[in-house]
Amino acid sequence: MVDFIRGQLISIAFVIFILGLIFQLFQFFKLTKKKDWVYPPSPITSEKKTAGQWVAFCLASLNGTLWKTDPLMTLMTSVFHVFLIAVPIFLLGHNIVLDQSWGLSLWSLPESITDILTVVVLVCAAFFLARRLFLARVRAITTIYDYVILLIAVAPFLTGYFAYHQWFNYDTVMTLHILAGEVMLITIPFTKLGHMLFFFLSRFLIGSEYSFAKGARAW
Amino acid sequence: MFRQEMKPVDTKQIRKMLNRKKGKMKRYLSYCAHCSLCAESCFLYMEHHKDPQYMPSYKAINSLGKLYRKRARVDRKLLTEMKGIVWRNCVLCGRCYCPIGIHIPSMIAFARSILRSQDVYPRLDEVSTESWL
Repeated sequence: MVDFIRGQLISIAFVIFILGLIFQLFQFFKLTKKKDWVYPPSPITSEKKTAGQWVAFCLASLNGTLWKTDPLMTLMTSVFHVFLIAVPIFLLGHNIVLDQSWGLSLWSLPESITDILTVVVLVCAAFFLARRLFLARVRAITTIYDYVILLIAVAPFLTGYFAYHQWFNYDTVMTLHILAGEVMLITIPFTKLGHMLFFFLSRFLIGSEYSFAKGARAW
Repeated sequence: MFRQEMKPVDTKQIRKMLNRKKGKMKRYLSYCAHCSLCAESCFLYMEHHKDPQYMPSYKAINSLGKLYRKRARVDRKLLTEMKGIVWRNCVLCGRCYCPIGIHIPSMIAFARSILRSQDVYPRLDEVSTESWL
């Protein structure tokens, strides 16, 4: 069982993850249609802005976003999502394993930095948990499934932190860390975690008032 | 009591309607992270002293979400409860904002269509303890 988790299951998880994302991508294009335009393009302003005006414009634009209504949550969720993806990719240990198996690796962050960033991710996760437990509006729509999803997202970081600091039995913690990563990869395309893909698809390809780009598709 | 309100619920028809938009609506429902960040974008939520019942996500989850979760096995009592959620608690102004990009108004509008197919909708001559306005 342990050999399976530390061996074959890693490849299986990656295959399910990639094929699952391709399937969801295909479904997205099947369910949406291309439109000539959905929202009229915004007027092009030719006047040039000075650096100061540009900063003022950017800060004023933030007033219409979540930075204005819930700045703490916006900060926490932005930090959490960036590091959730960046830390495992640029982790030295992962890149060494990648180099040993496939002979290729990415640029790595110093271990002291990734150690701190892991704690940052865990603190953000604790903040989300506290919101779910103590904020009435979040509690009103929370089910047991939300806690499970949070656990799936956080488990690789928690076990990774334990493994790096060699707390508890190293081999067991390492196996749990690999299993947690595999569970996360497998569940991403088919659960709430699918917002990883859906966020970008809807924000860039669907035409809407809040899109980051002028999307040319509609549901 | 209105005669329509005594009619049995046509679960087959509801299931048929749910299946027609299953791909899109189930995706919306399953990708909702239950973050509640849509709350402040609803003027009714703000007007009702931030009562969670007026949150856009709460309204979608407890109407359309419930219909999918129960696979259309619903009774008239539950549909009547949903009537309040999708008509009184939401005016379909389309101002709700979802950071993930879920289009909440289309979920509420679809829930209204399903309820309407079962003759569940607010009537002008309805005698109710609660105002519809």
